[in-house]
Amino acid sequence: MRDDLIIGMAGAGGDGIVSAGESLLLAVAREGYHAVMTKSFGSQIRGGESSCRVRISTRPVLTPGGLLDVAVALNWDDFLRFGAELPVSGRTVVVYDSQTGVAPSRVPLGGVSPLEAHAVPIAEMAKRTAGSDRAKNSVVLGLLAGWFALAKERLEDGIRRKLARKGAEVVEANLKAFAAGLEHAAAHPLTAPFAMAPAQRRGETLVVDGNEMCGAAAIFAGCQFFGGYPITPSTEIMQYLSREIWRYGGTVLQAEDEIAGIGAAVGASFAGRKAMTATSGPGMSLKTEMLGLATIAELPLVCVNVQRGGPSTGIPTKSEQSDLFQAVFSAHGDAVRPVLAPTSVADTFDVTVEAFNIAEQYQTPVILLSDQEIAQRKETVEPIDTTAFSVVERRRPTEADLASYARFRMTESGVSPISEPGMAGGNYLASGIEHTERGAPTASGEIHAAMNEKRIRKLDPLKSRRDLFRTEGDPESPLALVSWGSLAGVAREAQRLAAGDGLRVKLLVPTLLFPVAETVYREFLASVQAGLVVEQSHQGQLYRLLRMHLDLPAGLRSLARSGSNPIAPAEVVARLREAAMALQRRPELHLVSQE
Amino acid sequence: MSDAPSIEAYAARDYKSNLKPIWCPGCGDFGVVQAIYRALAAVGRPPHEIAFVSGIGCSSRIPGYTSAYGFNSVHGRALPIAQGIKLANPRLLVLVAGGDGDGFSIGGGHVAHAIRRNVDLTYIVMDNQIYGLTKGQLSPTSPRGLKTVTSGYGSLEDPVNPLLYVLAYGARFVAQGTPADMNGLATVIEAAIRYPGFAFVNVQSPCVTFGQEEQQLRQHKAAMQPIAGLGHDPGDRLKAMALAQEYGTKLHTGIFYESSEAAPTYEGLVRERQQQLAGSGPSRADVLRPFVVS
Repeated sequence: MRDDLIIGMAGAGGDGIVSAGESLLLAVAREGYHAVMTKSFGSQIRGGESSCRVRISTRPVLTPGGLLDVAVALNWDDFLRFGAELPVSGRTVVVYDSQTGVAPSRVPLGGVSPLEAHAVPIAEMAKRTAGSDRAKNSVVLGLLAGWFALAKERLEDGIRRKLARKGAEVVEANLKAFAAGLEHAAAHPLTAPFAMAPAQRRGETLVVDGNEMCGAAAIFAGCQFFGGYPITPSTEIMQYLSREIWRYGGTVLQAEDEIAGIGAAVGASFAGRKAMTATSGPGMSLKTEMLGLATIAELPLVCVNVQRGGPSTGIPTKSEQSDLFQAVFSAHGDAVRPVLAPTSVADTFDVTVEAFNIAEQYQTPVILLSDQEIAQRKETVEPIDTTAFSVVERRRPTEADLASYARFRMTESGVSPISEPGMAGGNYLASGIEHTERGAPTASGEIHAAMNEKRIRKLDPLKSRRDLFRTEGDPESPLALVSWGSLAGVAREAQRLAAGDGLRVKLLVPTLLFPVAETVYREFLASVQAGLVVEQSHQGQLYRLLRMHLDLPAGLRSLARSGSNPIAPAEVVARLREAAMALQRRPELHLVSQE
Repeated sequence: MSDAPSIEAYAARDYKSNLKPIWCPGCGDFGVVQAIYRALAAVGRPPHEIAFVSGIGCSSRIPGYTSAYGFNSVHGRALPIAQGIKLANPRLLVLVAGGDGDGFSIGGGHVAHAIRRNVDLTYIVMDNQIYGLTKGQLSPTSPRGLKTVTSGYGSLEDPVNPLLYVLAYGARFVAQGTPADMNGLATVIEAAIRYPGFAFVNVQSPCVTFGQEEQQLRQHKAAMQPIAGLGHDPGDRLKAMALAQEYGTKLHTGIFYESSEAAPTYEGLVRERQQQLAGSGPSRADVLRPFVVS
């Protein structure tokens, strides 16, 4: 019995492969499994290749996983386009459409011989049973349910629910296609039988993706204004809010461009409302001037960047963590902006609420760096107890403050009470130009220096927020992993695998990426002799950012790779093992830096 | 708080701030700010219920010279910010001001969208056909052939016609004024503020330092032709466009076009949708409930 199963499927757009993945995810979630589903596409709007991975487990899942246990190819060209995103090994069961004309002994997987390969007349079965090859995905679901003992009744029920609005005939046809898949599986059992262990989880679960979670968290945090412009892979945040935010007294403006989107959000924040915008890397470039304005005008704002592969259009449908430098360094004029990153769909709730809280508390734009993988992957999430969260409101002026109001008053914390239009006595000039405490424009170097100091100093308390860092493992361990965003799941899984292998590895996952909390890192790194900073970018941007702020142990290296080239937990563990061996043999080797 | 705006008795001086303008002596913008004070006094909203947004340029300093809430933002982006303010708090009276570069060059893309949404804003452009703040470069309304520090041999482009531009995008209130006629200017600004929707006022506001000699207040005074004396029907968009064609050759002052058809404002529609959907979902604390699978 297996307790963890990773299924990867690919086909042409329109084959319904992603839809099959969604049906499978919902069925196993209802059955009581933990599961995560990721989708990956070519950039074509219709047609082209599409794929999904579904990982099903009896325990909480941290990542979409590495090597596939099951690979489904509706045609080989499309399957192979996904390369390392759908890796097949000698332990993979391969299922493909026999109309591809490929013999099971000749599947085109380079040097890899899968565990077993099954050529199934998928399209033909769909046509025979349902009268249309559009039911191919139902055949596939039947095959999976049959071979791997997966939630058969739930899948049937899912077909009924999903296709109900297309009419009874379509439902019936797809149920027949599903049954044909089941029968085929029963008639052609796997050589090495492999069934999923029964689900363990009881009680409610959510199935949600990261973008929806971000939108929902924004509503929870009190967001009342969203201004934005469609851009993959962030658009679903705007789509979700455009359905939901009205119920809570808010509004969404789909603006004429990225600049107007953030501009309207800045305006709404000036008018006293919690405001958000969302985009991806190229959109961030356009919003950058406005972020500078929000910094100097000290206006709260949450700006989400769902990172994709870049630069420019790059590979917009694939995940990457390559906008950290942009988030930190694109600011003109000494602007420091907090940068936060969620590590999973569930964590996106916490981090989005935190982003609003920090924005409101410190009157600053906050950049929320999500990535395509978290944003567009759907997963089972344990119910979130929202009563455990506090929601921060901006510090508004008291009667006494208003008696002689100075919007940018120098305070001990650097945070000055903020009024809003409509508030008598709070009238002031917000401006992008440097200003005095009362908001009057100035070109005084002395005032400029003092105001810069105020705007940067007010963020200092963030650097002591240990709750914005997660650590796991033995605090005295000489081996360490540091990772952020979606790759933190890979690092977490690697740490557990490594522990199972007898490697003592500790893990640090920062939610707060900037300002760099030097003390937190120093404490964590004190015992560290070797380790890896694991991230999805060519340059290894967190690794380099940390080097800029800290003296890192020489044995702490970067494990970084461009987007759409997965880093698997097993690979991380292999690197850690090498590091551990080297430490045993020649600890002094690690005094020599890799660069 | 009631939705009805507060109307009280205010004098023009109540809208003046204690900042001293940094404009060059004789700048047309002095007249514009005076006309705005007068128009605001006539309308009578308390200064704290007014948000006055600008971009960057000499004219964009103007919110700071009023006692309203001001926002001197970034170049070309006053309109998006102003729309965010108005949608966030529709009770506010929202004014937007800037120069011709702000409105028709770097920020030109926003004008069409503010117009088509019909957000209730009053947009005042101080059009001086030159970039004054950066010391005398070509602006989008500079006439063809104009010699400036960036066009030493003469401009190679036709100017934007701001009046035709906004009319073509469907603006429902379009007027022009000049500080050479303070009463006329204050009157059109007041009418624009009172207009329930997006209203545009182009103000020929001379740059004394870098502007053309034939475009100064004295010349305006001599050349201006009040539209009221032309027998023009301000309810006729096509006739307004015909009149607007004369931008650059004649100085018409007054209202070119004022649509008498009632049109919904964007913020009004937002309010309606919010009211329709209020309370139709789970509470904020329970916002994740729709994601529970069953």
